[in-house]
Amino acid sequence: MPELALRVDDVSKHFGGLKAMRHVSLTLEAGERISVIGTNGAGKSTLFNCIAGTFPVSSGTIELFGENVTRTSAAQRARRGLARTFQTSRLFEQLTAAENVFIALGGNEFRGGLLRHFRRDTARWDRVARLLDRVGLDGRGPQPVADLSHGEQRQLELAMALALEPKLLMLDEPAAGFSPAERASLVTLLRELPQEISLLLIEHDMDIALAVASRVIVMHDGEKILEGTPDEIRASERVREIYLGGSIDHAA
Amino acid sequence: MSELFAPKRTGVARWLPWALGGAVILVAVLFPFLVDRPRFWLPNIGVRTIWLGIIAMSLVFLNRYVGLLSLAQVTVAGVSAYGVGVMMVTFEQPFVLAALVGLVAGTLAGFLIALIAARTKAIYFLMITLAIGQVFYSWASQAIEVTNARRGLAPVLKPDFGFLNLNDITSFYYFVLVIGILCYVLCRYAASSTFGLTLQGVRDSPDRMRALGYNVNAYRIAATTFAAFIASVGGIVLVLDRAQVDPDVVSLGSTLDVLVVAVIGGVGSLGGVFAGALVLTLLSNFAQNLTDRYMTLTGLVFIIVLLFAPAGLAGIGKQVKGLIARRRTPRHDAPQQDPSADQSAEHAITEGKQQ
Ligand SMILES: Nc1ncnc2c1ncn2[C@@H]1O[C@H](COP(=O)(O)OP(=O)(O)OP(=O)(O)O)[C@@H](O)[C@H]1O
Ligand SMILES: [Mg+2]
Repeated sequence: MPELALRVDDVSKHFGGLKAMRHVSLTLEAGERISVIGTNGAGKSTLFNCIAGTFPVSSGTIELFGENVTRTSAAQRARRGLARTFQTSRLFEQLTAAENVFIALGGNEFRGGLLRHFRRDTARWDRVARLLDRVGLDGRGPQPVADLSHGEQRQLELAMALALEPKLLMLDEPAAGFSPAERASLVTLLRELPQEISLLLIEHDMDIALAVASRVIVMHDGEKILEGTPDEIRASERVREIYLGGSIDHAA
Repeated sequence: MSELFAPKRTGVARWLPWALGGAVILVAVLFPFLVDRPRFWLPNIGVRTIWLGIIAMSLVFLNRYVGLLSLAQVTVAGVSAYGVGVMMVTFEQPFVLAALVGLVAGTLAGFLIALIAARTKAIYFLMITLAIGQVFYSWASQAIEVTNARRGLAPVLKPDFGFLNLNDITSFYYFVLVIGILCYVLCRYAASSTFGLTLQGVRDSPDRMRALGYNVNAYRIAATTFAAFIASVGGIVLVLDRAQVDPDVVSLGSTLDVLVVAVIGGVGSLGGVFAGALVLTLLSNFAQNLTDRYMTLTGLVFIIVLLFAPAGLAGIGKQVKGLIARRRTPRHDAPQQDPSADQSAEHAITEGKQQ
């Protein structure tokens, strides 16, 4: 039996009276790539926040790499090998792009040198430079976050998640605001991720969602309504109905 | 390989901060020779400015680098001052031991306050630290066995180290000046360490820090404890300067004084506090000659600074630079002002991002 990276079992999340997510279950094998699609307000980001520990679940359990993490904090899950991006960028607004990645590199491991001048940690800065290059932000390191374009901020989000060298990577609409060229390089980057990294991807751009995933989960109105291969999803009447009935335009 | 840092500043931008800092230190060193009545100026203006500045600097450090506005910094300084008072007056111990006890007590108090308050959001942090300060004030006003209640503990005599007699007013001033500079250097050092940069991550997005695996509370507690250590140093200078410690030291008025100093100096700048403290000590010493409404005048100065220099005295340089730049360039693409200076003034109160 292949090792499970993630197991979400019958998880619900209520915000007061609003049932944002109801009885969702899914599993993700080590190295597997799954896309989560669905209309606005379907509960995709809520699912992410529950998995990552940003929100406590209302009911159900979440297992990460075989361990029950339902009651653990977001930081503990990150240290176990989970990295996520936020749908609306949460960056260190008053710092530069390079400094953002520098901080991201320090989270997972407690390394000495906390009291050294931060510029002196050349090994860490080398890694910062490589990560910036990898997501297409070469040369933008010295820019304050406020001076980055929306697309660049998304790239920075990605670099910070990759900095953790995660075993499970969860990306919440990483391509929002990307130009076609940036979308193409995102797909390349995701395809080139090391084989053993598991990926959970929320993406409105169907081309990206279907291109990188081997399985697709469709959410609607707080529930998981369908799961299948990209071909099955493409062919599904139900998906077409939801998307045409919904407000989303999925033509990329 | 990708560029990581902005190119080194050139020209005026490079040497001006150094020149300014050098000038301030030069004036501070020559201060005893520049004033007509050193017996008045050195203690009432010089020394007082420095300890007010040190305590306010601990508040500014927390606000600028961690995004926490703590109103308990005066309380922490007071705990340290009471530690010295109890050791020297009640137990008749030598100053050095008393100072150590004061430092430990104040730092520990800051740590405990952090344990209680670190989980709370911005405005609640402010309220909790204020409440803790008031609880300590009323305790200090009543605990006759420990604090001698309203009368306080006196006299706290300045020590004579042999090579350095702090009863000599000029020696005492230089002693305090060195301590002030050391505190400033220590804060700057902490801010430019990996620890300090990480704190700024906690300030800007606690959620992101958690998602990266950081223990946000631990960082907040560590920073608050560090700031408490700085405030405790201020408390020791304070108790030597006043030669006694009584509940006034930790009153709401003193808390407001420090807050006013921080805002006038600029809550975004560590060095600015000394400018703010100087303004306040000058006002409190000379306003009485001009008007008997000292508080009214302080309030007016406060409002004027907030209106015309929202980032405080330390932010004026950047403001002027922004104005010049705006004159030079066409209006529509006027460059953005440095956001850090302007925002941080309001940051702690208005931004409820922390959780
Ligand atoms: N923190 C919150 N508090 C209250 N309600 C919330 C919160 N987060 C999400 N919701 C609600 O839960 C529902 C699902 O939201 P969610 O963000 O998960 O949708 P989504 O599928 O990610 O949509 P989108 O495609 O727009 O990102 C929505 O009705 C939303 O308003
Ligand atoms: Mg979403």
